[in-house]
Parts: sequence; C-alpha cells; structure tokens
Amino acid sequence: MNENEKKEDQRDTALSRRNFLKMTAGAATLASIPTSGLLTACRPAGDSGAAPTPEFNGKPKRGVSIYSYSGVYGVTMTLEDCLADIYDMEAEGLEILANGHIPNYPNPTDEWVEQWFAILDKYQIIPVEYGHWVDSRLHEGRELTSQESYDMIVRDIKLANRLGFKIGRTKLGVIDEILTPVKNWQEFIEMALPVAEEYDFKMCPEIHMPTVLKSKMVDDYVEFIERTGTKNFGINIDFGVFAKREGRRMMPGVSNEPSAPEDMIPLLPYTYACHAKFTNMSDDLIETTIPYDRIIEILLEHKWEGYLLSEYEGQKKDVPDYASDQLRRQHVMMKRYLGEV
Amino acid sequence: MLEFPNIQSRGFRNISEGNNITGFQVPVRLTHYRGVWLSQLRPATVTVDGEKFENEQITWVIDGKSYAQTDLQNYPNIQWHSLTPAILKIEKPGGLPLGIHDVQVQFAYSSSYLPPRMDLGFGAAQPYQRTMVLAR
Repeated sequence: MNENEKKEDQRDTALSRRNFLKMTAGAATLASIPTSGLLTACRPAGDSGAAPTPEFNGKPKRGVSIYSYSGVYGVTMTLEDCLADIYDMEAEGLEILANGHIPNYPNPTDEWVEQWFAILDKYQIIPVEYGHWVDSRLHEGRELTSQESYDMIVRDIKLANRLGFKIGRTKLGVIDEILTPVKNWQEFIEMALPVAEEYDFKMCPEIHMPTVLKSKMVDDYVEFIERTGTKNFGINIDFGVFAKREGRRMMPGVSNEPSAPEDMIPLLPYTYACHAKFTNMSDDLIETTIPYDRIIEILLEHKWEGYLLSEYEGQKKDVPDYASDQLRRQHVMMKRYLGEV
Repeated sequence: MLEFPNIQSRGFRNISEGNNITGFQVPVRLTHYRGVWLSQLRPATVTVDGEKFENEQITWVIDGKSYAQTDLQNYPNIQWHSLTPAILKIEKPGGLPLGIHDVQVQFAYSSSYLPPRMDLGFGAAQPYQRTMVLAR
C-alpha cells in the first residue's frame, strides 16, 4: 500500500465509522457527534490533543479557513458541515478563528473539545492555523499595556495548544491607515516568545492589503526575527497582496500597486502559512484577479511546505452553498497547479 | 440555527412577571465573522414603530447573564459569541401589542485591527431593521 492508498484507506475507515454511526453530515449538529473512543484511547497525555498530523513532502499543502463560510456559518452550515465540505476537496488543513468558531471562547467546555477532535478525526482534517486577535482597543479611550497584550496572547496560545494548533494568525491592533501595528508590539511579542516556544507555537501576523511585501512593516518583522533568532514568530502571506487593482479594496491615500509573486522568495523562510485569498473563480477554474499559477510555481521551486489556507472573500458569501462552490473550484485549480492531478 | 438577519424572530416576545407584562425582548446576533468582548460594545438603541429605547432602558443578556448597558465596559473578558444571539430586554410596562411591528436596532463595536478612524466600522452605521410579528 503506498502512502496515498494508505491515506485513502484511513479516510474510508473514518467514513465507515461515520456510516456505522448513521450520521448524515448535512443534518448533523455538532452537539450530536459521539466521541471517538479510538481517538480518546490514543490521545497523548498533556494538553495537546490527538489531531491528525501533517506529512512534510517538500510541497505546499492545501487547507481551508472556516472564515470562507462566514456568510452562512451557523445559519445553513455547522462546523461539521464545513469539515465534510473540506473533505470533499481532499484538503487536509483547517484554520479557525478563535473568536468566531469556538463556543464559549475563551473557555470551551471539555465536551466541546472532545467533539472537536472527534470531527477532525472523522474527516481526517489537521488543525493548522488558529486565528486570534490582540484587541489593543479593548477598553475605550486607551490601548492595552504590554502586560495586558501578553496575557491575551498567552490565553490564546494555551487554548490553541489544547485544540492541537501549532500556528497562530496573530492579528495585532493597528494605529494608522496602512495598518502599522501598535508601538509596543515588539515588547509584548518578545515577552510571549518563551511561552510560544514551550507550546511549539508560531505567532504569525498576516501581511494583508493594503500592506505589500516590500514594506517597512515586513522589514520590521524580519528584523525582529533576525534579532531574536526566534522560530516562534513569522508571517502569513495573504495572496490578496498580489491581486490586480480591480480586485483590491481601495484605501484612501494608499498605493494600490500589488506585490510581485517573486517578492515572496526572501520571506519564505519566515512564512509558516499563507492565506490563499480569492474572490472570483471562473467557469474555466481560473482565479481572475490573482496570479495563482506563478505563485504556486514559486512555492514549488522553493520547496515551501506550509499550508495554503483558502479564504473566500468574493461576492454572495451569504448565498447558501455559493462559497462552497467557489472553494471547490479553487481547490481543483490548486490541485492542477500543484501537480496533484 | 440562526436566522439570516441581524434581528432574530425566535425569542421576540413580551416579558411577563406574574400577571404583569413588564417589557419586551429582541434577540440580535452578530452578523460579523467574529465575536466581541463586551467592553468593545457601544450602547444599543432599539426603536419600535418610531418609539426609541436607549441607555438604562435596555439590558443585555449574553449566555443567560444580564448586563446593564452602562456596565458592559467592565467585562473585557466576557465574549459575545457570533453564534449566540444577545437578548436585548426593554422595560416597558404593558409591553407591546400583539401584531406586526417595525423594529430597528443599532449598536457598534470596536475593531482594533482596523485603522482608528474606522474603529466602529463593522458596527451598524444604519440601524438594522426588520418587520417582526409579536405573538406572545
């Protein structure tokens, strides 16, 4: 049995268990999912759960951010419905947003955590990136102190660890139109590095339009990484930075020239995940605003082996099934460019 | 499951204490993709058929716990989750008459990752509006 067959076999096993339990993904609610006894049995001691783990093979891997479903999430689709959808794309990675997708955040119940691992196991999905925020304007009229920011980050690192995540999309508060992070970011991120190291966690701000890759912000992040020598802080490149003008949101007084895909190359050693942002998949399965062919060619050339996490940010997000259709189209495109088909 | 609009019809009804109707309640959800900390919320106004309710007339109920509007700022560690409607309870002796009402709700919340100029940009610039049927 080769690796692919083995993987398919594992998925079949997961699905036959699903059939055995007479679950229909479309109708199932999260609360009704039984805990997998197998999973509980093999879970290691300690805080981190027994999520499936990735195999690194020198190629980018595919995943989906639940953010893509936000127009229908909780209305026509449950978390499990999203995972069943992702399984159909043969995508194995998952991003959740802590503040959007964890009931009772920041204190989910043990029962929910059990269910979380049960559905990851059922659909063989790997928890890749945990979206969290440092809400610098938590209190009206003042910014968080470094200690308060640190406390907020540590709370999230511990919860991310409890849910099996190793990478954070760490969203910092900003102070201006070009999204410059708060002045004390280096201080509280440096305070959090030992905790991130202890939990094998990488904090990654997202490089998102209108910020571009060749910018002071990115230079500052790289300088911080080089100065501290840390492996626990990096970046997430959002592919919106490569979008043509017509695909970009206009910000007053901000240059709208997109980054070139080649601008990623020097940053790849610090890039632990990418947001595979997209807004429009055509009927011939091409993203019409972002040069995915060139982006993926570069990632393959440089043997970058992180996750491409889909973020659908186009129209009709709140039309039932529309985002699912767009995601499926995007994953066929990415499979082609990645040589998976 | 939630209803698509911000203002939810399930849970829209008068509130009784014994034989007295003391007010009414309007459930609202965050149509945004993330929950917010209570201290990020700004006070809500509720307008029914042109009659406006605000400030201490409104109590927020999040996950079964009540918070006075003026007190929201003191709960930076309590999250209003995007899958959980908040119940806005409005004091109004006698409540609302049964039937059809024009209901408008406005509230805002801070988003630290937007430019400061747009801090309240994800809240409602215009009130959420829904034509609702009161049956209880």
